[in-house]
Amino acid sequence: MTARAFDAGSVADARAAIPSPWRRAWTANGPGYMFLLPWFIGFFGLTVGPILISLYLSFTNFDLLTAPQWTGFDNYARMFTADPKFIASMRVTFLFVVFSVPLKLAFALCVALVLNRGMKGLPIYRAVFYLPSLLGASVAIAVLWRRLFAGDGLVNEALAMIGIQGPAWISNPRFSLWTLVILAVWQFGSPMIIFLAGLRQIPQDLYEAADIDGASRWRKFWKITLPLLTPVVFFNAIIQTIEGFKSFTPAFIISGGTGNPINSTLFYTLYLYQEAFGFLRMGYASALAWVLLAIIAAFTAFSFLTSRYWVHYED
Amino acid sequence: MPVTTTAASVADDPRRPWRKRIISVVAHVVLIAASILMLYPLLWMLAASFRPEREIFSSTSLIPSAVTLNGYISGWHGLPLSFGTFFINSFTISVLCIIGNLAACSMTAFAFARLNFRGKRFWFALMLGTLMLPYQVTLIPQYVLFLKLGWVNTFLPLVVPKYLASDAFFTFLMVQFFRGIPKELDEAAQMDGCSPWRIYYKVLLPLSVPVLTTAAIFTFIFTWDDFFGPLIYLNDIKTYTVALALRNFVDSTGISNWSGLFAMSVLSLVPVFVFFLFFQRLLIEGIATTGMKR
Amino acid sequence: MSTNFDRRQFLLGSTALVAAGAVAPAFAQDPGRLRLYWWGGQARADRTNKVSDLFKSKVDPKVTIDGEYNGSFQDYWTKLDTQVAGNNTPDVLQMDYRYIYQYATKGTILALDDYIGKGLDLSDFDKDQIDGGRVGGKLYAISLGANSVAMMVNTAAFKEAGVDLPTPDWSYDDYKTASVAWNKANPRNGMRILQDGSGNEPAYENWLRQRGKALYTADGKLAWTADDLVEWFKLWDDLRANNVCVSPDNQALDANAAIETTMITLGKAATTFANSNQLIAFQKINKDPLTMVNFPRAKKGAGGGHYRKPSQFWSIASTTPARDESVKYVSFFINDGDAGAALGVERGIPCAKHIRDAIAPTLSDQDRLALNFVSNLGDLLGPLPPVPPAAAGEIDNELQTKSQEVAFGQSTAEDAGPAFFKAATDMLARSS
Repeated sequence: MTARAFDAGSVADARAAIPSPWRRAWTANGPGYMFLLPWFIGFFGLTVGPILISLYLSFTNFDLLTAPQWTGFDNYARMFTADPKFIASMRVTFLFVVFSVPLKLAFALCVALVLNRGMKGLPIYRAVFYLPSLLGASVAIAVLWRRLFAGDGLVNEALAMIGIQGPAWISNPRFSLWTLVILAVWQFGSPMIIFLAGLRQIPQDLYEAADIDGASRWRKFWKITLPLLTPVVFFNAIIQTIEGFKSFTPAFIISGGTGNPINSTLFYTLYLYQEAFGFLRMGYASALAWVLLAIIAAFTAFSFLTSRYWVHYED
Repeated sequence: MPVTTTAASVADDPRRPWRKRIISVVAHVVLIAASILMLYPLLWMLAASFRPEREIFSSTSLIPSAVTLNGYISGWHGLPLSFGTFFINSFTISVLCIIGNLAACSMTAFAFARLNFRGKRFWFALMLGTLMLPYQVTLIPQYVLFLKLGWVNTFLPLVVPKYLASDAFFTFLMVQFFRGIPKELDEAAQMDGCSPWRIYYKVLLPLSVPVLTTAAIFTFIFTWDDFFGPLIYLNDIKTYTVALALRNFVDSTGISNWSGLFAMSVLSLVPVFVFFLFFQRLLIEGIATTGMKR
Repeated sequence: MSTNFDRRQFLLGSTALVAAGAVAPAFAQDPGRLRLYWWGGQARADRTNKVSDLFKSKVDPKVTIDGEYNGSFQDYWTKLDTQVAGNNTPDVLQMDYRYIYQYATKGTILALDDYIGKGLDLSDFDKDQIDGGRVGGKLYAISLGANSVAMMVNTAAFKEAGVDLPTPDWSYDDYKTASVAWNKANPRNGMRILQDGSGNEPAYENWLRQRGKALYTADGKLAWTADDLVEWFKLWDDLRANNVCVSPDNQALDANAAIETTMITLGKAATTFANSNQLIAFQKINKDPLTMVNFPRAKKGAGGGHYRKPSQFWSIASTTPARDESVKYVSFFINDGDAGAALGVERGIPCAKHIRDAIAPTLSDQDRLALNFVSNLGDLLGPLPPVPPAAAGEIDNELQTKSQEVAFGQSTAEDAGPAFFKAATDMLARSS
């Protein structure tokens, strides 16, 4: 370093000219990391850490009151060979997802297509269809649903008016799951909004070109609309499926926390809750959580891998 | 010629313009019918909350023969503590969560959208990955952690994670939004000698009011409706949120006070509904942007 | 790094934590506050709260007592476990015969032997009721009343049907015979004479005991075989096929053992399996006049199914900061004259003799009915069974699910019996 007579500028220049690697890294990365600090703490403390710990716990018996005892693969073995409730909850959750997601998306797409014709009152209709998905996840709606579908509830009264004698939906194991599917499908408003936005993005000139070629409505749908919507369909399908697997509140409220009758409403998360907080079998519950994670990961990977065959990205 | 103004309008036969009218009328009729069907449960519950108890299940009509506030009064005091306590609890939690989410997610989004640092892509990908992580897998260790910290049976486990940007959804939303703000503004501020903090605080945040409002409203709605979190962390009736209180109500008074139950249910939905009424455009745009191609 | 950043972040964070934390200390367990938790309906809640008020006015005006209750017996245990998990066990909690072993061996509830005579007055308490609360010789729970199982009977419905009320010698066959006339008269649009009791554990136990068996052995194993259960399910298959009992759809409405959703309260059946002390609670929410009779005999002349048991207990959490206060409360509850008067026989026949004597003149006819019922069981009375093992509560719940499988036709009695036997054995093994 030279001398006496300096001015701030030249010192700064000098410093900048020969910066130490530390300082350079810090000036470059420092702000980024500082802003990310809350997220880092949360990510490691509330996400990564717990994921690893729950993996460990899944190999133990842990009742919160005493230290975890290592049991190896016992929990997993039990799950797949000696736990009828696990099989039941898997089946129930799969059925729920397999039926509610396509139905939800179908309704969402159909209504979005109709609304996209640019009719008067679009904002009102859109709001009306969207409202249920805002309210749907609440305890209040689940309580209402339980009452609507009871043996003497509104649904059966309505059916009676057209001469059908409805079953006791909620207390009959053959029908109880369908009340939950109907509740899920009722909330199609949120994917509908996304479809509407996706439809709006399709360039108008494609349709005009097709019109010139004399294409029918159906052809235009199949050849233009649907292919260009596939990214949105894909996105919606993944989000709705994952949401379906996480569903808890409606099943809990409608079955009174039991998953009955005969485990027909025993959603996977409800079963996990029962094991963890009802019986304090935290080790087993952790194993259940990991199986769920594996399934969702497999599903997501599968979806992404096969998406190239049917999803058209406009690049 | 009829003017088509939308992106995907139906091809009409120009030789028969009245065909379009018929289709339009039919569409409206179907939509109106569907709307009524969709809203009927809500309207029924609203009507039931004003009905005298014995009449609730004897009629399907929406107009009560006698309007009474009895449901609201008996429901409000239906549990050992009045619902006022529960509403205050829910409100407190929601407000604290909103502050946390806005602060932490915007900071995180700013880092990803505007700053450059080593490993940015890597961390961003990880953050997006957490969107797909089912909460069940972190649930139990988190519970044990909060138990050891002595936070169980307080609001802390429900609120503190928001201050650590645990809601990747909002971070993502904000990243999308920030990317839409011209970088020139940042650069101009930088040339004026602003530190990143000042750019964040003075330049970006003021321009982000729409996305911040959207995030605030969604946070409110999600935390207001949250049931699972309070279910496992709040054990003392004094701390109950409205969602928990409703469930208790169903369990303890069971079938003996439906009008009270429906009245309180209606009240619990009112705040969400109000936000929806005033901010639906924002909410709908917020949802729509998440579906956009990245 | 500008200092604004740190300060602002700190301010934001600490405000939040302070705000949230400010809410926290108010709810920490503090010694001036007693938390009670019990299961039961409105009738029990009213009486218990009255006793709490009496305690405040007579013993300790400074204490706040928070009484919380759950209408559902099943749900009570899930919520209790959640509270135990959260290190927030209620100070004074209601305990049941099936669960006492589990909570005692896990150390969740306190052993009270040291308090006897020193704060906990058991001087004229029935000895068998005291022993009912012992596990491994130590006293973990104080009985709140003696009861026995009993059927609730809707006398008005029987009158409408023109069928005689059940007598103490009625067997399941007798109910079947009576149902012929009953269904012909078809009172109340489809009401049946019996509920579907195939998933009712006390009913099953009662039936087993009449055949010389029991639910559990003294060392915590099953004291019945798969064949027993098959026969039990077959008995109910037959009753169902002949419309003696309600349809499975209806029985499934009785999801979590709350009296509001029992078949008698919902008007689907004229009788319901219950406990002798619940007559009061049932009558409170049923408009028709009710009476009580014993559980059906397995066959003519069979007896020994019933037993006098503690209907429920108070236990004290081992983590409570207010031990002395809790003990005082419990002792007051079972010994104070005014408290006894307020409680009546809703929780069962009081175990302290001086209370029994004091309330005898004040009992209503129905109360007296409950009292006399338990004292006059005659040949229906059998010995007290040993304390059930740790998984008894879970097995109770699972029996209900299994019975529904049979009722809805998803499984046959022949398959369900062995399947449940295996499941129950598994549950026992897991919990020990």
